[in-house]
Amino acid sequence: MTYLGQVYAIVWKDLLLELRTRERIAAMGAFAVLAGVLFNYSIDATIVRPQDIAAGLIWMTLVFGGLLGIGRTFYLEAQDGAFQGILTSPAPKDAIFLGKTAANFVLLYVVALLVVAVFTLFFGLHLGTSPALLALVLALGALGFVALGTLFSAVSSGTHMGETLLPILVFPLLVPMVIYGVSATSRLLVGRPVAEVAGNLRMLAAFAVLAVFAGAGLFRYVVEE
Amino acid sequence: MPSRPPPRVDLDLPVEASTVPALVTARRVEPAVLSARALTRRYGAVVAVDGIDLDLAAGDFLTIFGPNGAGKTSLLSLLGGRLKPSGGDVHVGGQRLDFGETSWRGRIGVLSHQSFLYGHLTVAENLRFFGRLFGLEDLDERVPERLEQVGLANRGDFLARQLSHGMRQRAALARALLHDPELVLLDEPYTGLDPHAAAVLRGVLSSLKDGARTVVMVTHNLTQGLELANRIAIQVRGRFTWTGERDDVDADAFEHFYHEVVESGRA
Repeated sequence: MTYLGQVYAIVWKDLLLELRTRERIAAMGAFAVLAGVLFNYSIDATIVRPQDIAAGLIWMTLVFGGLLGIGRTFYLEAQDGAFQGILTSPAPKDAIFLGKTAANFVLLYVVALLVVAVFTLFFGLHLGTSPALLALVLALGALGFVALGTLFSAVSSGTHMGETLLPILVFPLLVPMVIYGVSATSRLLVGRPVAEVAGNLRMLAAFAVLAVFAGAGLFRYVVEE
Repeated sequence: MPSRPPPRVDLDLPVEASTVPALVTARRVEPAVLSARALTRRYGAVVAVDGIDLDLAAGDFLTIFGPNGAGKTSLLSLLGGRLKPSGGDVHVGGQRLDFGETSWRGRIGVLSHQSFLYGHLTVAENLRFFGRLFGLEDLDERVPERLEQVGLANRGDFLARQLSHGMRQRAALARALLHDPELVLLDEPYTGLDPHAAAVLRGVLSSLKDGARTVVMVTHNLTQGLELANRIAIQVRGRFTWTGERDDVDADAFEHFYHEVVESGRA
């Protein structure tokens, strides 16, 4: 119970801080909306059908926008040494990581839904016959993304390059997520049978589980001096 | 009131001829709440903490003085398990600081010149958050008690960033004491405080001398450092170049003595 209580405490604290500051959600949300507007004007709909490329644009918007927020995971922690306070507690490092990842997941998933809403609005998309499955695809992709993003945000925050380093570290690792996420989203948006995305879903789930476990195992080596 | 005799060293002698040893091993006390053996920390070629031995019993209040770069903060971080030693080990309450598990952290409270508080959370929210991390379940009673103890009973609903620096330090002390640690580590707790705020904090810190806790404080300020201590160490270049009892120290002569010890340690 203590372990789950410690994870919950981190989630509660991170979400409450975000609710009060709105720093990250505002940046990610604004990016999502602006990207949707710009993509809308950058595509000639008489040549390219929006549905054909929407999935890729949705995931790219999610990755770039998400990185704006995830990259600042440890920014508030650094103020007045607050994260040092957490490290002086008996909370296991993996519990700290899971808590921060869970809080980041909530934020990113809200942004993911916003991104889909924006593209639905500007591109006139139909969410296919399985919107719930689309929501699951986004959830699995977001989970893998935030697990890696949280881990590498801790790495980059300890360097003089800071947030600049984060995309260089994370983007190569996100390739599997983007491949399977875009593939599943494309198929769902054009109404292909659910069976066609089952493989992609399994790969996204495997990626997310691997990222969470790897992050939980490696986090202590990142934050311990 | 006659002044106490100067500490161990004839201040009229040149430093080279003084009895200041290169390294004084602290006395052994049983049972030791805090025990360190050959504690060493290197940053590349730089040795910040160089083979320090230390034993402190319940009720001991050790102040560590030293110039900038002496390794005081590194030593405190090692004693609190915030930093991994390059060599040697630390025991708190008989439990070795093992970085593979973290239960021993519940024995230690840390107060730094940084508050370790979240500015956008209220003082009470901060305490409840850290209380959950320490696995405490009686937070409804414990949080108001600690706020009362540090004189912030009516500031629990204030955001931490709305507090003055002095109040924030007291809130940070409430956080450090929330889990009733056996060992309290104070890293330059008076930094940035005006004289009044420092006096208020000193009053709160004096309550730590209850005979049950062990306290280690690092400071540059000789006057403040002597006020509460019963044991004193001077650290230079990562080593204790002098240790002694507070009662053996003449407060008026201590500054001169301190400079001599520092110079001899650098020689």
